[in-house]
Amino acid sequence: MALSIEMTQGDIHVTLTLSGDVDTKTAPELLSKLTALELHALEQLRIDLQGVEFVSSAGLRAIIFAKQKMPHSSSLYLVGPSDQIVETITKTGLAQAVVIVQSTEEI
Amino acid sequence: MEFERIDNLPTDTIAGFRVRPGKPLPFGVSSVPGGLNFSVYTSAGTSCTLVVYSRSEQVALGEIRVPDHYRIGDVYSIVVYGLDYEDVEYGFRIDGPFAPEEGHRFNVDNILMDPYARVLSGRDEWGVEPDWSKAYQYRSRVAFDDFDWEGDSPLEINDADLVVYEMHVRSFTQSDSSGVKFKGTYAGITEKIPYLKSLGINAVELMPIFEFDEFENSRIHPDTGERLYNYWGYSTVAFFAPKAGFAASGKFGMQVDEFKQLVKELHKAGIEVILDVVFNHTAEGNERGPSISFKGLDNKIYYMLTPDGYYFNFSGTGNTLNCNNPVVRNLVLDCLRYWASEYHIDGFRFDLASILGRDPWGAPLSNPPLLESLAFDPILSSCKLIAEAWDAGGLYQVGTFPAFGRWSEWNGKYRDTARKYLKGDEAQVGEMAQRVQGSPDLYEWNGRSPATSINFITCHDGFTLADLVSFNNKHNEANGENNCDGGDDNHSWNCGAEGWTEDIGVRSLRTRQSMNALSILMTSRGTPMLLMGDEFGRSQHGNNNAYCIDSPISWVDWTLLDNNKQLFDLTQALIHFRHKHPCLRVNSFSHSGGGGMPSCSFHGRTPWQVDWSAESRQLAWLMTCDDAAHGQMDAVYVATNMAHYATWFDLPGLPEGYSWSLCFNTGDSVSPHMNNPAPFNENGILVGERSVVIFNASPRET
Repeated sequence: MALSIEMTQGDIHVTLTLSGDVDTKTAPELLSKLTALELHALEQLRIDLQGVEFVSSAGLRAIIFAKQKMPHSSSLYLVGPSDQIVETITKTGLAQAVVIVQSTEEI
Repeated sequence: MEFERIDNLPTDTIAGFRVRPGKPLPFGVSSVPGGLNFSVYTSAGTSCTLVVYSRSEQVALGEIRVPDHYRIGDVYSIVVYGLDYEDVEYGFRIDGPFAPEEGHRFNVDNILMDPYARVLSGRDEWGVEPDWSKAYQYRSRVAFDDFDWEGDSPLEINDADLVVYEMHVRSFTQSDSSGVKFKGTYAGITEKIPYLKSLGINAVELMPIFEFDEFENSRIHPDTGERLYNYWGYSTVAFFAPKAGFAASGKFGMQVDEFKQLVKELHKAGIEVILDVVFNHTAEGNERGPSISFKGLDNKIYYMLTPDGYYFNFSGTGNTLNCNNPVVRNLVLDCLRYWASEYHIDGFRFDLASILGRDPWGAPLSNPPLLESLAFDPILSSCKLIAEAWDAGGLYQVGTFPAFGRWSEWNGKYRDTARKYLKGDEAQVGEMAQRVQGSPDLYEWNGRSPATSINFITCHDGFTLADLVSFNNKHNEANGENNCDGGDDNHSWNCGAEGWTEDIGVRSLRTRQSMNALSILMTSRGTPMLLMGDEFGRSQHGNNNAYCIDSPISWVDWTLLDNNKQLFDLTQALIHFRHKHPCLRVNSFSHSGGGGMPSCSFHGRTPWQVDWSAESRQLAWLMTCDDAAHGQMDAVYVATNMAHYATWFDLPGLPEGYSWSLCFNTGDSVSPHMNNPAPFNENGILVGERSVVIFNASPRET
């Protein structure tokens, strides 16, 4: 399934709304969207995964890459990830890099 | 702004890939700006081709013949640009002579795994039968360094303070009764960390987790029709790669992260991670086995060969890695350094380690260079190095393993003596006294210390503790070898009936014998090791060699934890008792003791007098030290009676101001351990038949 990524700019944050699957083929698109942001100066990044079923290891690594580029004081929210995505990032130890919320109201 | 490197550009285009000459070190694959550096060693190969795949595709993306001028010495290296790190898989074709009688087995049609592969695909999910038609079964992949360790580093707990817990990753939580979500995996162990912490152990020793193939020599049981596996995994495919089939996330290729997460969480709980590593042989077998990597890269370098090119078999499994060849030695060293630095591993236990001390023709070396290199390596300097100090070729080196002041040993003599003493064999008291004080007969003469001795009564090889007291003979029918496999020298005793019984007397004796074993183990000097599940009576139904069994026979049955709560409580209390009493953990044979008493002394029914005769089945020991942290003396007195009748022991006297408190009595079937031991006002104690009592000295209330 193809991936579409929509970007919106808030006052202090950027939101990427994803729909489709982030698999081996589409993960590079996510990575290039992320690298195009001014990550080193970004205070808050929200990645909306409500329209995503599956994120491959390459997609997760792209997200971790973004967090590592952002300032230490910054936050990276994953909005509405599926149970399977939450399980994978929990058991592989990637969960502490991100904040998981069900919807943007919780932020 | 960021500057782009301009000194790292492709010089050639081969098969459509942009490439340049690579760096020979490090071996394997490493990332350079814009590309990946591949490096592989072959001394007798005549050409090298890098074969590149996309993860999901069967057909190669391309084959890059490495130009001869890219070779330095015996190493081919090449940088390839523009590969997708996440997706790429690779292997090598090496050309050269096929002349087995000269030791060469090159085959350019075969695609070989990188011996330095950090991640492997092809066995991503446990027990899923591979597609055998694939020419290249174990594809090398690229690992990432982006794991967030959150400031973790190896724990460096003193050897003498360790309580080791040996476990098999899959067996520990595969049973539904484990109650974990990710059964049989690294993540499953992570879920069980609160349990391990409450038990009180502070190191886990994991049976092999280097990538192996559970389908190696897999077969169907002739009678039961069940599939038998290479379940334990003592047969390495890739020394640098964690087993994907042990990771719940293996099908996503994330086993590296999942295993690192396990190590990090264990460390947070104060638990070290020791890996059981198998360097004595590989999964390539003998001349009839597959050519996965080493055979096709440089057979003559990596294996010990007979003069006519056959494989020496000191490991009992087909081949023997040529560990004291300098190239192989460096591979072992690189591997351990990688696990210590990249995975924060705290120690290694070497399977059949005596092989590592043999020269290329099999003769034992007096000063084996590999063992010396490991002992003095700067990166491994705080890692535990533990030898299984024997091999399948008849070399038995418990007490004489070349230790270089660093190596400790699985003390097979502790196991055998403790088992014989426990079941009341004649003439064991003298040797038991040696074992209890850390085996000075084995380790004092050469300047080693009590913690050199890893004390154990059970391990994965042989009976579990519950089976040790329930079976006189092995019952290995499930292994499909007509009960011919597995050792016969078990020194076990079934307590009156073979296997399962309703006889209350037999059952209570078995419980007591288990408690006796654990009591002796936890009050001996040296480093104690428990086998997973022994703390609550795990059984393999008499199977003493379940190396091939992926079934409830091998899996820990967690319902036993409730059924045998008393045994668990006792084990937990004994471990906490050991942590609390420094006199049990003294790590010197020349220690001067505490309270004016010797560091370790032996007693019988009368203090300071031991009946050393062959008929004697009573031994007591008193251990002491000054406990500086609490400004007092620490002393523990243990009396063991392995006779079939109760025996009175007079208690040794204590310095002014101290009195004995009874902490454990395995002969008390209602409460074998006391939660709040009160001062003991008698001069002695009647120790029941086949029972152990443990006292500690406490300052008298004034």
